[in-house]
Order: sequence, then structure tokens, then C-alpha cells
Amino acid sequence: MKPAAISPGSSKGEQSKFKRLFVEIWKYRMTYTLLIPGLIWLILFSYLPMGGLSLAFKHYRASDGIWGSEWTGLENFMYVFRDPAFIDAVWRTLYVNIIKLFITFPFPILLALLLNELRMRRYKKVLQTAFTFPHFLSWIIVSGIIINVLAYDGFVNSLLALLGLPTINFLGSEQNFYPMIILTDIWKSTGWGAIVFLAAISGIDQEQYEAAQIDGATRMQQMFRVTLPNIMPTVTIMFILSVGGLMSSGFDQIFNLANAATQNVSQVLDVYIYRITFQSSTDFGFSTAVSLFRSLVNMILLLLADRAAKWMGGDGLFR
Amino acid sequence: MKANKMFSVKALFLLALSVMMVLVTACGNGGSGDSKTGTADVKNEDGTYKDNLTISYASVTDVSKAKMDDKFHKFFTDKFNIKWDYNYIDWDSWPEKMRLWINSGDLPDFASWNYVNGDAMNYIDQGLFYKFPDDWKERWPETAKAYASTGLGDRLEEKVGGTYVLPKPVYFKNQPADPLLNQIGVIAIRKDWAKEVGFELKDAYTVSELMEYAKLVKEKDPGKVGSKLIPMSFNAGDLLTGFMMANNEHSRVESAFYKGEDGQYKWGPADESTLTGLKLMQQAYKDGLLDPEFYTWKNSEGGDAFRVTGNSAIAGLGGLASYRQDMDKAMKKNLNLDSSEVVHEALIVGEDGKYRNLEQVNFWSALIFSPDIKQEKFERIMDMIEYSVTDDAQRILNLGFEGEDWKEENGEIVSTIPEGESLEDKYPGRFEGLYVLGDDFSVINPAIKKEFRDRSVELYKEKAALSTEGGAMAAYDWDFQLYSSKSKDQAGFDYATEYANLILQPGDLEANWKKWVDGKQSLVKPVLDELNKEFAK
Repeated sequence: MKPAAISPGSSKGEQSKFKRLFVEIWKYRMTYTLLIPGLIWLILFSYLPMGGLSLAFKHYRASDGIWGSEWTGLENFMYVFRDPAFIDAVWRTLYVNIIKLFITFPFPILLALLLNELRMRRYKKVLQTAFTFPHFLSWIIVSGIIINVLAYDGFVNSLLALLGLPTINFLGSEQNFYPMIILTDIWKSTGWGAIVFLAAISGIDQEQYEAAQIDGATRMQQMFRVTLPNIMPTVTIMFILSVGGLMSSGFDQIFNLANAATQNVSQVLDVYIYRITFQSSTDFGFSTAVSLFRSLVNMILLLLADRAAKWMGGDGLFR
Repeated sequence: MKANKMFSVKALFLLALSVMMVLVTACGNGGSGDSKTGTADVKNEDGTYKDNLTISYASVTDVSKAKMDDKFHKFFTDKFNIKWDYNYIDWDSWPEKMRLWINSGDLPDFASWNYVNGDAMNYIDQGLFYKFPDDWKERWPETAKAYASTGLGDRLEEKVGGTYVLPKPVYFKNQPADPLLNQIGVIAIRKDWAKEVGFELKDAYTVSELMEYAKLVKEKDPGKVGSKLIPMSFNAGDLLTGFMMANNEHSRVESAFYKGEDGQYKWGPADESTLTGLKLMQQAYKDGLLDPEFYTWKNSEGGDAFRVTGNSAIAGLGGLASYRQDMDKAMKKNLNLDSSEVVHEALIVGEDGKYRNLEQVNFWSALIFSPDIKQEKFERIMDMIEYSVTDDAQRILNLGFEGEDWKEENGEIVSTIPEGESLEDKYPGRFEGLYVLGDDFSVINPAIKKEFRDRSVELYKEKAALSTEGGAMAAYDWDFQLYSSKSKDQAGFDYATEYANLILQPGDLEANWKKWVDGKQSLVKPVLDELNKEFAK
């Protein structure tokens, strides 16, 4: 009698696969136990709240709760899409974030490469602390400082006036709004962003540098031929993750720096969601519909970026 | 090995149990929602309250400087045998905080709420507010009288079949004029500077006349303030009232949707008169009569250049005598000026000479109660409200204590608080005036200078006369106000910001305004269609 072939997809094959997995988990059960708090956190704060997304298809009534509220199909989306401010906010968000991505993304990499070249450890640490510090300041504080510094009677304009130069309307100019957003973002987040790349750099095999030095490579050549190629997988992953957040712009930053004069360029999707949730509509279903739309676009962008990275020969997020 | 195994099983079991507990808590309903909890409030034989109750209350009165054990607060806590659990809400986050608390069922026992009709209907429908007992008007008759004076209470009852909110009366016993117009739209002018630059003082000016004055001040700088001069210290909200409403009574959110003479509903900001106001605003900005960054000013910063730094010739003030008293105090403190010598109050009329304002519906904000409030707490609070409406309580609330803060002389009440000081300085953070707003007593409050009170009443009467003699008063449209729909919610714009944005845009103002009007039509038209279908003739 010929024994039945066990293919990987057969039920017996599946069974043994699961058994192996179970044995493996049991073997390292103490390690897996350590994973449980993280999993609980993930389930509680990332997966369970997803149930709330059903509000996008409901007329929310607080007394009925999320689950008991009446289903309304796509009605919320119908209201959302008839608001021109929403459509504008979508395009504006993409526009701001694409510009932000291409301008700000290279800065942490550059900073990490430069810090890596410093040989004086103490000086390097001082610099790294100085660059990282702005990350810990809230945008409310940073915005307050920026508004004071860039106001008509602020430090910069006073200095310009002192030098006999014309003053500049920084805060009330649509043209200046995006540069202000980008520059302040670079100032605030570059140091923090560089940490990931510095970590990737520290994992590079030192023998590669030794070999490059023996071959007579200069510091600059080592940076571009050894360091940069080695951190490219990290760069790719960070880039894909950034693309996945293109529909979410820094609400704190934009909301606090915006004013009536810059309303046309500052109402991004997050600000729009805030406005419809807390300042006009009382129906949370409506704002959830906008949030769901934003998340969907973000997910599509993430998948596209992942595909593009693989297509160009790099590593993607999903294997 | 066995110990290890035991540990793992126990650990997993405990973890699973914890997860279950967290899930059950997280997904739970949070409160019974039964509004008939607790028992009736019990009094002692001498009429005092038997049980000490802790009552939570939320309002926008800042208590950061308050001493909760001072004589004023203690008077109320002792009289009603309560302890306060007071929740201060910052003015700027008032609407959103209340929205979150109401929706999440986290309302304190009672709260002062920035009343919105659409929201009220929605919340009442969902059972998120406490429903008053049917006999409440008999049990608390003074409160019921004040409630009736608002006009809103009865209309809302018709719609929802009971009392769920207590709209706060602006005026109860001291209405200054009939018809009553909104207090907004009164400005303060530096009369000493006006005299110096040869500008005539009147009771009412057009915006162009005010701009003329501002230009004169800019040219001659009578206050010698140099580059710091801001001829008109107006923020976006002041401009909406001063420039826009003066020319179009339907330019504001309160009256933007209105029933025209043909019985059909219209949207005011699309009217040509809006453009008149916008053009004046833009001109004032271009001529350097406004602060170059007026649009960054927050709510309270509008008149600071006038009363704090003394760098401005005109500022928004408002029509209440208490505002005038505050300005007087601020100018004395910051500029060492007697405001009676330097401030002139006036109204603004449209370029066509017509006076425009909003009909003052006699309420502003409302008291709401948690649907879970215990009966004894509700009754105790209502007793406090009932007391706060009486003449005796109004005197304590607004003047302090007889013999200490005021006395009677020849049948007239005289405040004994030293000039330059106020009751707020002595007893900071007084939030116990729970129901009738301070506007009512401010008309007769002897702690406010008589000249300020008289001028306030004079201006109210002037407004009433101007609006009935050829002026235009935007009527409070109950049909519209009590109508609730998603479309209406969606078409609630922040007009002050929108207008400020329009005048700051590059390009032709008229073209920009037309584009803006067209852009809003997808949200405005559904509301007009609904209103015309429902209420048009």
C-alpha cells in the first residue's frame, strides 16, 4: 500500500505545523509570557478601539453607545463629500505632507551621518542632546515662542528694522506658512529622527570600515560607500512608514501656528476633523467617517510604498 | 520544573482574568442612567438641611484666586449645608469640554452650558439631561418666574414635553429698554484725543466716520505713542460686530439664516451689504488703522491696546455697565487715567445711516443637570437657585454683605467698597450667582458708578429707538433656532475668521467674496431648502 503523500497544505501537515509551533511556544513559554503585556496593550488600545470605526456608518447616540446606535449606511460619507472644505482639506493634507516628506525626511539621515563622523565622544553627546531636546517641547510652547519671535514686533522683525531692512509678515502670509511649518518641523524632529539611523549605523560591521581604510577610502567615501548603503534598509522602512502617514499631518503644529489669515492653507484634514468634531457637528459618526477615510487612504499609500520599495529592489515592510 | 509549570499556569490565568476585567470595564455602560435615584432632601425642624452634600458643578468662572472658605463662599456652603466640588472650564474650551462630558455621561451634578438649540434637542432626545419633576414650577416659583422670562423655556417644553434645561435670564427685574437689543455694538473712543484732533463726539458714528477719526489720530498722534499706535484696537470678533453687523444685520452666525420679506429663507452673508462691510474692513487694514496682526489676537486681547497699554483710539466695549466699570478699573490700574475723563461710548451705524443689531432673546447659556443626579442633590441645588433669584440674594451676590460692603442711606443702597476696588477683589471667584445673569443687577448695582449705569441704559434706549425708527433689528427666529438637522450643523461657519480671511486675501475683494459665497452654497443650499420646506409661507 502506497503511503499518502503529506503535502504542506494537507490537514495532517497543518496539524504537525501547529504542533511544532505549540511545542516551540511551550519551550520558550517564559519568553512568550513577557510578550503578553504588549499584546494586551495592542489589543486594548489598537484593535478594540477599531470597533468604534463602525460609527462611520451609524448615527451616533451617546445613550445607545457605539454598538447600539442606529446604522445609517453611507449617509455620513454623503455629508462629508458634499463639503468642499473636506475635499480641499484632503488635497491640502497630501500636498503639505508630500512637500514635508521630501524636504524633511533626509535631514535626520544627514544628521546621523554627520554625528557618526564625530570622534570626540563628549562633543558628540552634547550635540546629540541639543538636537534631540526640541522633540520634548510641546508644539504649544514651540508655537508660542515662534509667534513671539516672528510677530511684527517680534525679535526677527525688530532686528530687520534695526538693520534698515523691510519687515516681513511671517504669521499672516500664506506664502510663508508652509516654509514656517517645514522649518520648525525640521528643527523639532531632526534630532529625534536621527536616533533610529544612529542605531542602524552602530550595527554596521566595523570590518567593513577597516577594509575600506585598507583600500584607501577617505572619510567621505566611507560615509557614502559603507555607512549609507548599510543603513538603506532602515531608510526604506522609515520612508514607507512616513508615506503611510501622509494623510495625517501634525495637528498640534498646524493648529497652533494657524490664524485667520492662513486659514486657506492651514486647514488640513486633522484640523478639519477637530473643527467638525468639537466646533460644529455634534454627530461623532460624521467625524469618524472622515477619520476612516483618512485611515483607508493612509493604508493604501503604505501598501503602494511597500510595493514600490520592493519593485526597486529594496526591502519592504511585509515579507 | 513543577514550580515553573505552576507559575506559568497561574500567571496565564491571572493575566487572562485581568484582561477580562479590563474588557468588561472598558465595554461597560458606565452608570445606571436611572434619573430617579436617591431620596427626597431632608430638613431639620429649624429649616436647616440635615445632610451635608457634596455637589459638583462646572462653569467658566475662574476660581484660581478664590478662597473657598472666605465669608462669601462660606455663607452659601453653610446656608445650604454643602461642599463644593467645583470644576472650572476655560472659556476657549467650554463648548468642546461640555460636548465630551455630556456625550460620555460624565457631567457633574450640574453645569453651566453654552446653550445650542440643535445640541439641546439631540441630548434631550437621548436622555442625556435630567428631566425635571412635573411640579417643579410650583415648588420653586421664583425660579419658574425667571425661567418664564427667557421665552425659551416654554417653547422648548412644547417641543420636548418637559423641562430639561434652565436657560439663564439676561434680565429679570431690571430690563433697560423695550425692545431689547443685544448689548454688543458699543464702542469706546478716546475723547481727549478726539478733542485734540478736532473730531466731534456723537452718540453714533458710521464706520467711515470712525475711520476718519482713526486716520486723524494716526496723523497727529495726540497720545504721543509713536510706532506703538494702533488706531483701532479691534480683533476679528470686534470687526464682525463693528464693521460687518453695522452694515448687514444678517452677517453673523446668530442671524445668518433669516426669513425675507417674501417669506422665503435667505443667507445673509451672500447679500451685497456684506461686501460694504468687507470693503471698509479691508480699507482700514490697508490704511494701517488696525493692528497688522489683529487676526492672531485671542478673545480677550481685542481692547488691550486701549485699556491696558493706552495705544489705541477706538476699541470694542459692549453695552453692559459692568464692562464699562471693568474698563475704568483697568485704565486706572494700568494707565493711571480716570476713564470718565477720557472715554466716550458710542454706537456704530451702517454707511446708509441705519442702525443694525440683533434682537436680544432674554437668555444666555443654561443650567443642565446630570441624568444620574440624586434627588436630594437636585432639590438642594434648586433651593439654592430659588434663593439666588430673590432680592436679598441678588444683593449678596452682587454687592456683598450689608454693613460690610454696602449700607442703606436715605432709602438708597450705597456701596462701601473703596473706589478702585471691587467685590471680585474681596471675594474672588464668586460662582454662586447660579441663575439670573449679572447683567440684570448691573443696571441698578450701586457698586458700579452711576454715570456708567445711566449711560448703559441710555444706549440701550437709543438702540431700541434707532432700531424701531428706520433701523433694522434681526429678529430672533424661533423656527430656525429650534430647528435641528445635520445640514444646519454643517453650515455653522466661524464668520469672524471667514471675513478676516477674505480681506487678507490677495486679489480683488469682490471676486474673492463672490467665490467664497459660491463655495459655501453646497452647504448653505440644503439648509435653505429644508427651512423653506418646513417654515416658508
